[in-house]
Order: sequence, then C-alpha cells, then structure tokens
Amino acid sequence: MSKRPQNQFFLLFGLIALAMYPQTAYAYVDPGSGSVIVTAILGLFAAIGYTVRKQFYKIKRVFGGGTENNEEGLDNNEKDK
Amino acid sequence: VLSTVPGSFRDPANRVYAFAGSSDGREDVSIYRGVNQQALEYYRDLAQAPFFKSLLENGRVVSTEETVSGEIFDAVRKDGWAGVLQHEPVPFITYPYEWTFGMLKDAALLHLDILETSLESGWTLKDATPYNIQWINARPVFIDIPSFEPWEKGTPWVGYRQFCSMFLTPLMLRSHLNIDHLPLLRSYLDGIAPTEALKFFQGRNRFKKGVMAHLSLPAKVEASIQKKERDDVEVQKRSTRSHSKAMVVGLVQSLQRLVRKLKIDIAHTDWSHYDRTHSYSDGEHELKKAFVEKAIKARSRKFVWDIGCNTGTFSRIAAAHADLVLSLDGDHDAVEQLYLKEKKEANSKILPTVMNLANISPNHGWAGEERAALDNRRSPDLVLVLALIHHMRISANIPTSMFLSWLRKFDAEIVIEFVTRKDEMVVKLLTHKAEQYEDYNVEQFSSECEELFEIKDRKILKGGKREIFHLLPKI
Repeated sequence: MSKRPQNQFFLLFGLIALAMYPQTAYAYVDPGSGSVIVTAILGLFAAIGYTVRKQFYKIKRVFGGGTENNEEGLDNNEKDK
Repeated sequence: VLSTVPGSFRDPANRVYAFAGSSDGREDVSIYRGVNQQALEYYRDLAQAPFFKSLLENGRVVSTEETVSGEIFDAVRKDGWAGVLQHEPVPFITYPYEWTFGMLKDAALLHLDILETSLESGWTLKDATPYNIQWINARPVFIDIPSFEPWEKGTPWVGYRQFCSMFLTPLMLRSHLNIDHLPLLRSYLDGIAPTEALKFFQGRNRFKKGVMAHLSLPAKVEASIQKKERDDVEVQKRSTRSHSKAMVVGLVQSLQRLVRKLKIDIAHTDWSHYDRTHSYSDGEHELKKAFVEKAIKARSRKFVWDIGCNTGTFSRIAAAHADLVLSLDGDHDAVEQLYLKEKKEANSKILPTVMNLANISPNHGWAGEERAALDNRRSPDLVLVLALIHHMRISANIPTSMFLSWLRKFDAEIVIEFVTRKDEMVVKLLTHKAEQYEDYNVEQFSSECEELFEIKDRKILKGGKREIFHLLPKI
C-alpha cells in the first residue's frame, strides 16, 4: 500500500512522457513507405504530360521547330544556367 | 593521417576518408572513398557511361578516379572495403542550412538535371539529399558518386520523398510564405516531413503551386498509413505497382518546372543594399578599401573569411588576391545578392554563406559530429571583420574580449574595423538601450587586441568615428 503514490508518480510520468514523445520519430511504421503510392499517383499524371510533350516536340521537329530537348523553349545549355 | 569523415556513415555501401598530408610545407587534404563490391562494380560501369563522362567534363559531378595501389589504398582496404575511389577535394564544406534560397534552388535543379540525364541513360540516384551537393566557389557540384545506381525497370523514384523534404519544401516555404527556411533545415537534418510542413500552409495557401501535389497528398497518405498501422496492427504490404520510365522521368521533369518557377523577392534590409547605403563618404570608403587591400596583399592568401560581408564589396577585393573567400553574413537577402552576382562569374572565388555570427552553425547530428561547426572546419589564414564589432558587442551582447578570443583561435591574421561611440550607426544602436556598454571604446578595444595579437597597422577613418586595425596573432 505504501508504494502506491510512487506507482502513481511513475504512471503519471509515463503518460506525460508518452504525450511528449513525437509521433513521427522512431515509430514502427515508416510513413515514408507511402511515397510509393504518392509517386504512383503523381507519376501517372506526369507520364501523360511527358508523353504529350514528347509527341508535341516530335511533331514540332517535323515542321522544323527546334529539337526534341527544347522543352519550354530552353535548350539544355540554357537549362544549366 | 587517414581519418573517416564523420558525415559519411549513413550509406552502408561506402565511407569517406580524409588524408591530411603536407606538400611544399603546406597542409594538404586528399579525399578517398572506400566502396563495397557492388558499389565498386557500379562505379566501373558508370565511369564508362557517356552521360557520366559528360557530367564530369561539365564540372557537375566531382572529379573521381579509382585508386588501385598505394599506402592509402591498403589502409582503406584494411577497413573491409572492396575498392577505393579518390575525389577532388571540395575547398570548404558547407551545409544546406547555410545556403541562400538561390543556392538551394540551384542545388535542387542540379540534382534533378543529373537524375533526369541518368534516367535517360538507364541509371538513377538512390537518394536525394542536398548534403550530396557541395560548392566549388559559387558553383554546385554533386559529390556522392555511389548514389548512382542502375535503374531497375518498374521501380519508382526512390528519392522522391527525400527530395521533397530536403529541397522542395524549404524552397516552397520561403517562396510561397516568406518563412525563413534555414533554421528549419538546421533543426530537421533529415528534412521537413510533409505532415509537419503542411501545418505552415493554411487556407488558400494550400492551393499555391506544388503544395497540393507534393505536401497535401503525401501528408494525407502518410497520416492514413500511421492511423491504419499503429499499435499492434501488422504492417500492410505497399503497392508494388510497376512505374514506367515515363512516370519516373515525367515526375522528375514536373519538379524541374516547379522548382524553376519558385522565386523570392529580395527585400530591402539593412544590408541588402549596403554598397549604396553604407555610411562612408566616397573618399573615406576608398581609404578603407586601400587599407584592406594592402593588408590582404601583404602575403599570398589561400583562404580568407569575410565575416559580416553584406553584399560582398570587400570579399571581391579579397578574391583578387586569394584562392578562396568565404563570405558570411546573417542577412539572407544580402548574401543572396552576392550569390546571384557571383554565379554569373566564370572564375568566381567567392563562396557565399548565410551565418548568424552570434549563433554560428554548431557541431550536431549523430554524436554531435555528423555536421561540423563553422569553426571546426577548415581554418582561414586571414579574417576580415569590417563594421561588425558593434553588432557583436551592442546587438548580441558578446564582450569584445570573448569575440577577440574566438578570432584568435584561427591563428589567422585579422583586419578589424572598430566603430566608435561617436559613429552614427553606434548612436543608433544605443538609442533605445538601457545598457550603454561603457567598456566599448577604442582604448579598451586596442588593449584587448594587444593581449592576443600584435597590431601591425592601424588607421583612423571617418574623421575619427572609426578605426581599422591589421592584427597578427601573437605566438
């Protein structure tokens, strides 16, 4: 019986410690593992844009307007600047 | 002496070593990397790839060669590595939390451009951290060669989340919300997680460019995973959906477009227009420049620090007579201006860095060693401390004796300008201060200097309102 206050102290300390423990740090689930889902969703949209742009520049090239690489009107050298 | 570089332990495939030797009586540091068998095989294939040769030729990737014999080769192999690479040393290591917005943006674009080129050639980068990029003067260079790996068909961009946390999110915070990203990067060494970053974007800000796709969506997915799999629930299998090359390259290119569009306005701060707004008359300013130039030219200088550089007027004078100038200032926008100018110079010898001199980058990361403090890296042989001392004493409350002791530990020559109590800038600083810093006067300052340094030269400027000293360290 005499140990109860001490136990309560440890319980309270434990609860405070749990509340203070950051949710994301060293949890068992790596939230970053979800980035496969994110890249799949974003990648699908990006792939559509990528394919459309590629075709567009191919057509543009046929009609004499620049190279396949000059996306957004920039050549590779300009991109580097 | 061969030692491991503390910040290089995270990738189990390799480890960086520094060899400190001496040639012509000067200390020289060479950089080596021990790599495991697989990383060695990848490197040998990579070294033959035309895209990689072109990256090397354009100086976008650090010069690297395989070492196959010698004392260092034997020593590194003894540590259990299958092979040894030698890299061109970077003149001075800096960290992303010391870079301006423009520097982080250019580093991000370098990473994306290298990744895009690699993917087109069947390779990828296995991570996406700005610590893989360093600066050779004002030019970013990719230094982590073992990050290149063959791209396996169907695999996603594995560094996407890291790229967002470490490059894109800080850039968006600065560009969209004008939040200072540097203290955040200094604390979150692994980057700012999307769930944390999203808290900064409230209301309409969530619709700003890139926020929905690269913060809201990942934060939502991550929060849902956390919720579903917490406590004793088993971890669920993630989608193994195959990613086509168009998906991966398309995502990289969409991030290139997004990063290119992120911009900031340079605010008119106390220092961002210093070259036009300083308190000197033209004639007096020329006298100050002449004193500084004479002190710099007295010897050949390998490495000069200009602390409190503003927009770099004196860094440029130093750069004309030194191999490298590290320009430091706490004012982000002043340093940004310096960077934007220097990056256009083909042979710039200036490395701009944002640094609050009353609170310099500390030793931190794992075991307090992973990222070195500013004063725990390569020491300068000359330090310019121009019109800074009154800020250290009066604004930051650092006693001048303590500041001088800190300067003394570099064993470097010092050019320091004392701004007296009569100067209008000090009058301005003291106007609303209860403490009047009676110890702050040129007599006490020069006697404190003489305890640690020899005064080689001194000159009164601005009609006695300022005095400039050239100090040599006392042995």
